[in-house]
Amino acid sequence: MSYALYRRGGPGLRLVTIVGLVLFVVWSAAPVVWLILSSLLQQKALIARPPDLSPANLTLDNFVTVVASAAALGRGILNSLIVALFSTAVALALGAPAAYALARLSVPRANAIAFLVLATQMLPSIAIAIPLFLVISRIGLIDNVFSLGVVYLSFNLPIVIWILRGFFLGIPAGLEKAAAIDGAGVLRTFWHIVLPISIPPLGAAAVFAFVEAWNEFFFALILTRQSAQTVPLVIAAFAGQYQTVFGQMMAAALISVVPVIVLAVVFRDWIVRGFADGMMKG
Amino acid sequence: MTSVPPRLPPAIELRRVAKSFGTVQVCRDVDLAIETGEFVTLLGPSGCGKTTTLNMVAGLEDSTSGDILLAGRRVNELSPVERDVAMVFQNYALYPHMTVAENIGFTLRMRGMKRAEIAARVTAIAASLELSHVLERLPAQLSGGQQQRVAIGRALVREPRIFLFDEPFSNLDAALRVKMRAEVKQLHQRLGVTSLFVTHDQEEAMSISDRIAVMNRGRVEQFGTPEEIYARPATRYVASFIGNPQIELMPGTVEAADGRPAVRLGAQVLPLPGDGRFRPGQKVEIGIRPEHVRLGAGNLSASVRLVQPVGPLSHVVLDWDGGSLTATLPGFSRLQPGERVSAAISPDDMLVFDQETGLRL
Amino acid sequence: MASQATFEQRRRSAGLFLVAPAIVVLLAILGYPILESMMLALQRVQLNAGEIQRSFIGLGNFQRLLADETFRHAALNTLYFSVAEVVLVVVLGFGVALLLNHPLGRPGFFRILLVVPWAIAPVANAVLWKWILNANYGVLNGILQSLGLIDYYQVWLGSPFSALNFLLLVDVWKSVPFVALLLLAGLQRVPSILYRAAYMDGASRLQAFRHVTLPSMRGAVAIAVVLQTIWSLRVFDLVFVLTRGGPADATVLLNFLAYRVTFNFLDIGYGAAIANVIFVLTLLLAILYIRLVRPAEGAAR
Repeated sequence: MSYALYRRGGPGLRLVTIVGLVLFVVWSAAPVVWLILSSLLQQKALIARPPDLSPANLTLDNFVTVVASAAALGRGILNSLIVALFSTAVALALGAPAAYALARLSVPRANAIAFLVLATQMLPSIAIAIPLFLVISRIGLIDNVFSLGVVYLSFNLPIVIWILRGFFLGIPAGLEKAAAIDGAGVLRTFWHIVLPISIPPLGAAAVFAFVEAWNEFFFALILTRQSAQTVPLVIAAFAGQYQTVFGQMMAAALISVVPVIVLAVVFRDWIVRGFADGMMKG
Repeated sequence: MTSVPPRLPPAIELRRVAKSFGTVQVCRDVDLAIETGEFVTLLGPSGCGKTTTLNMVAGLEDSTSGDILLAGRRVNELSPVERDVAMVFQNYALYPHMTVAENIGFTLRMRGMKRAEIAARVTAIAASLELSHVLERLPAQLSGGQQQRVAIGRALVREPRIFLFDEPFSNLDAALRVKMRAEVKQLHQRLGVTSLFVTHDQEEAMSISDRIAVMNRGRVEQFGTPEEIYARPATRYVASFIGNPQIELMPGTVEAADGRPAVRLGAQVLPLPGDGRFRPGQKVEIGIRPEHVRLGAGNLSASVRLVQPVGPLSHVVLDWDGGSLTATLPGFSRLQPGERVSAAISPDDMLVFDQETGLRL
Repeated sequence: MASQATFEQRRRSAGLFLVAPAIVVLLAILGYPILESMMLALQRVQLNAGEIQRSFIGLGNFQRLLADETFRHAALNTLYFSVAEVVLVVVLGFGVALLLNHPLGRPGFFRILLVVPWAIAPVANAVLWKWILNANYGVLNGILQSLGLIDYYQVWLGSPFSALNFLLLVDVWKSVPFVALLLLAGLQRVPSILYRAAYMDGASRLQAFRHVTLPSMRGAVAIAVVLQTIWSLRVFDLVFVLTRGGPADATVLLNFLAYRVTFNFLDIGYGAAIANVIFVLTLLLAILYIRLVRPAEGAAR
């Protein structure tokens, strides 16, 4: 048996792999396919037993109705966009320098600090929700996208710090030394050398933070009322209100997930590498 | 070696410089004085403290104690920029996201030089290093030798007082390493900038340096010209680190044979130089370099174990009752394993070390 | 530069300067809530005519936990849910990672398929599955009936046991991809020279898997296990949308219980006590994580 064959496996393993891949594709894709199909089918086709998938029943009405009637969805998307962009931008601006300092500059107790930053993620949201609610209502910022964005820093900052710290740990020390010899101070080294070579992990951290903020439900449930409601709240409310109008429900859900799915698909390699590096180098 | 008017302070001077990380002492009391224009190499195995010493001169690491002076001025508290040193790094440490031109010009940009002037200087340096045609490329698109030259260009462009080299050739293949070695030496001859070079390759150190500081376990064991280091090693360690094939070291005892000093190695007695350095009963170690073993005549009887031709020379490993011995012969040796030969070693060629202290007697 | 400082000194001071803003912001957001939540856990909190009245009762809330049938039930649900989820997700994730590491699984299409469930919001996921599992019109019922596997449409979320397991299925579906990606990254880090050596040594493929792949994956698997444990303990949105804890509290997990006690029963002190129990539990697991990963890294070097 040649080495190539040894690595690839014989017909038996090939068959197992193919069957496995088919099962994997069905398992992963089926619910998503059904999400898309449902959003494109008329109500009568959906409530038929079994669902009637004939092409004659395909329609864009669900989208038209959802977009036209649910102003909340449009506002929700706008709010989610603001909250996610704001908390991602701030998390990167504060988190990247912190990650660099924790990884490469001799900050006393850097590892302990990094662990504490991670430990905040063990905290169930519910534990801090009440005190946060009390503080935020006292300063009158309940139902405000920016106060929600600030609260989202509580998980986005640690995410950014952990992903980037893992990457920064792997930067060759020679680059920083060369920059020092070339006359760049610490800040200029960070700006001119470290950041430009960290674009993939910065992208990974940004996508990650954006997705987390876009999808967050619990804090939004507690800290918003009406005007600052984000997409997940709108969808949850929609599902409660119109739970028998299945096509529209799926259309709304689909609209809400498309932006992050596109981001995730486009930047998939960055996300995987960024997160794997960040975690593995603990 | 360059001759220097005595009143000038050394370009680089280290006075009892020490460095420790916690309880680990990396450098102990390093004393060095390097004259202006000199090319000096710190030579030693990994972990001997040579790179740490270089980093302390560069200002990349703080010394724990001692003084570092550049041109007579104490610089311990100065940053690398303020010390005006340039450095070529192991693995080049080129900025991967910058073109060759940007890499070379970065240091000038950091100094706030005008764009046009940077461009002019970079162009000139690139021309002198045969890099003009690759100025717009990224480091990843260059060959190993080109990357090396960019690293040198980056150091040259600012016309520094001192060049530091941290094992710059360790990642090059053998042929390229020899070529780059020659280029650096010519560059030094042309510019005459004081240079401190770190390597673990003794041949590289010998071929490139005015003087070599051999380091071992954080100390400078000997500081001298390549010839001094090779022919008159101060310690057993220096003798065994320098020379290829390695020097043979054999323990023995000094005796008096016919009123002249000699050393007993196993059953053999070899005469020592009669200059009164030795006293009978002294425990010594004898070092014999391969090129000092003459075959065909003499009173040492040995048998051939191994013949290793390397082209211009052959290394012949011999067994005799005092141990083993390597001899270097010109050309391709016709000796066969098992063949009996006689060998001679002149007393003046023997290096004799004190067994306890390791110092040469 | 006017002030004289060495490279190392500058890096030290710059380090503090760069790390401080992030830490200050984190402390500002989390510091007071964490302390306050611990205080609340030690208090009886009552709402009287819109006024909050608090009285210190020491460990009273925690003593109440021990006797609370609902809490015990939720703890058991959580234990079953978390253990089953971790096992299923890591095993399935490892399987998927192996599939995608095989030459046949290399095409980028498979990886695209993998990030989609990860990116879908838990709420949208719950809404989607609520529709799939619908008792009257759900596609799952439709498919199973067409295949002749069931005679009548089933109320999947109607009985306690079935509801909890479907909750599990839905969360496993969403969680497998990320763990698979993590483990795939781990697989790709196994030096291929090791497989070459195993081949030269005459190891069968199974033996190579057993003696090369598995030991090299220890660290990655440990990370996956602990991260997934943390995530399993955080599940909330799914319960909130899919089952609201029902039927008969069968899908009340600790996190949801803390929410319900706090916001529905307005028993804020008791809710905080439950939340703190979850926190301590997760933190202990995190310390385990550090313990497990560190030696694995040491061995790898």
